Amino acid sequence: MSATIRPLGMLKSYIGDLKETTVEAGQSVRATILALGINPDLVAGVFVNGEQQTKDYVIQDGDTVKLLAVIGGG
Amino acid sequence: MNGYGGTILRVNLTEGKFTREPTPAQVARDFIGGRGFGIYFLFKEVPKGADPLGPHNKLIISTGPLSGTLTPGGGKCDWTTKSPLTGGYADASLGGHFTAEMKYAGLDSIILEGSSPNPVYLFIDDDKVQLLDASSLWGKGAIDVEIALKHKYGEEYQVAAIGPGGENLVLYACINHDFGRQAGRGGVGAVMGSKKLKAIVIHGTKSVQVADPEGYRKAGMALYKACKDAEGLAEWTRYGTTVVTSWCDEVGALPTRNFSAGSFEQGSNIYGQTMRKEIVITDKGCFGCPSPCGKYSHIKRYNTQVEGPEYETIGMMGANLGIGDIQAIAEANRLVDDMGIDSISTGGCIAWAMECYEKGILTKADTDGLELKFGNAEAVFALIRKIAYREGEIGELLAQGTRRAAQQVGKGSENFAIQVKGMEQSAYATHNATAMLLAFMTCDVGAHHNRSWAITYDLQVGRDKVVPEKVARIIWLQNFRPMFDVLGACRLQWVELGIDRDLYVPLLEAITGIRRTWQDLEAVGNRIWNLTRMYWIRENAGFGRDWDLPSPRFYTEPPKTGVTAGQITKYEDVQALLNMYYEQRGWDDNGIPTTGTLETLNLSTLVA
Repeated sequence: MSATIRPLGMLKSYIGDLKETTVEAGQSVRATILALGINPDLVAGVFVNGEQQTKDYVIQDGDTVKLLAVIGGG
Repeated sequence: MNGYGGTILRVNLTEGKFTREPTPAQVARDFIGGRGFGIYFLFKEVPKGADPLGPHNKLIISTGPLSGTLTPGGGKCDWTTKSPLTGGYADASLGGHFTAEMKYAGLDSIILEGSSPNPVYLFIDDDKVQLLDASSLWGKGAIDVEIALKHKYGEEYQVAAIGPGGENLVLYACINHDFGRQAGRGGVGAVMGSKKLKAIVIHGTKSVQVADPEGYRKAGMALYKACKDAEGLAEWTRYGTTVVTSWCDEVGALPTRNFSAGSFEQGSNIYGQTMRKEIVITDKGCFGCPSPCGKYSHIKRYNTQVEGPEYETIGMMGANLGIGDIQAIAEANRLVDDMGIDSISTGGCIAWAMECYEKGILTKADTDGLELKFGNAEAVFALIRKIAYREGEIGELLAQGTRRAAQQVGKGSENFAIQVKGMEQSAYATHNATAMLLAFMTCDVGAHHNRSWAITYDLQVGRDKVVPEKVARIIWLQNFRPMFDVLGACRLQWVELGIDRDLYVPLLEAITGIRRTWQDLEAVGNRIWNLTRMYWIRENAGFGRDWDLPSPRFYTEPPKTGVTAGQITKYEDVQALLNMYYEQRGWDDNGIPTTGTLETLNLSTLVA
């Protein structure tokens, strides 16, 4: 029961060395990224298997979760 | 000159005459192009005190050296004028495919002067320039006009047109192009309407001379490769700007019910993922774009189509009107596009009117019988038409923008007219985001987000922190970001994909033959910023510090709901932000650039 978390692009500049990592499924995205030390407010987009989800999404086995930050804005 | 079309075209609509002059090398050196050319010509040529809707005002359309070239998103031109909405400086950036045709017609600027006695449209095909009768187009929606002119001339001809909003001088009328792209803000469409100019049709076949063709090819391809390799490209492309809707809701930045809150209880109905599932048909990009943010949508309930909505429209015509229905928002988007009125200001005006109605300041006797409660989409549709046609008291009232409407209505409604300098604030709630609040306060067209955007920075540093670093960040962004509007390219590749901005430096050098680092470019951005400030000062007696204050809502009324409930920016912090901003800018305590600052920027002679 595991899934992959993958910070994308500019988000990496906020979270140091964290790259792609494997996490346990069954928790929300919010709880999962908090446990990884990522401030959820800095994650603007959560994409699970290519589709955008909210941080309340509960991670399923085999999911690939990409995280995107917004630095430049509108 | 390498990288330039080489010609400034003047169109005198009063006399129906055209003149061509070479693009001045010194202006290209000091102001580069785009909005730099715009403010230069506006400041120099439009007489002090000119009526924005009179024949002495000018509408200046300018490309930049990156326009029409092998630059990702190199399809941006800038429309500059004295704003009828604010009485100050305005420029609006236009995407789509108009800019490239303008560049290929050899034009760096088109300066529209005077006012035609009868409706006309401007036809440009390389060196052929004509003013043609537009009486059969007058009264039509902007989308219908574009369709008609495309049918007449062919797909390769690009069209920019006003709708009824521009004809009827709605003070925030916009200019439409490519069935969903706008030069949106500040009332540029009203200025075009005041000149009785319904549309511009443009086509060009000339090449753009570059200084170093091989270096140009390499640098251009390097930028495209960086875009294609960028992490997040697929996600940004799939959702465009609507990526941020859910996040704005989550962090309290989504304007809700006239900015009375920053989170919307029906938010999930209007998130990007909802929109993609419910209405989006395909992606749509501008000239040379590797990351098309436009979404073309079919609105099943109304059996209509629209490009959009993008985030700003979702915020301002969705949550800000209490509408949690993506199809209704998309339909409102379609209506404002065809009517030719800015969706941001329209959303701001209708939200203000809805709050007036809910507070009993306006009644059905004032609204032509419309029940202007938050969430009433049918009333919004009806009101969009009334505004565009200035129909009834409510249409006339709201066609003026929130500042004038609130001054007219009074009864405390001034306190919830969400605007700065007369321009309605775009779709970021700033109850507790001090850097973003300062960005809106000091933006050089009014409360617009595109000069500097700092919500993430607020969250990083601490949203209520009032520190010099935040002010420095805003100033840096104000000097840097609008340079994309000077160079004639889209900023979203940097904004969304995080492309290394230094990749633009060798490309610009290969095109123009002049090496400019970003430090050099930011210095030009600073010169332009100060010149736009001097334009406000010249045109508005008593201009100063008070003009930079935000809507009182952000320092007097904390939201009752959402994640920013109970949070607010203290008034003393608002003033502290201005103190730091003026000091760092080299302006006096009243926000006026000092003599020394103007000398340093080589502006003393121009503003004398």
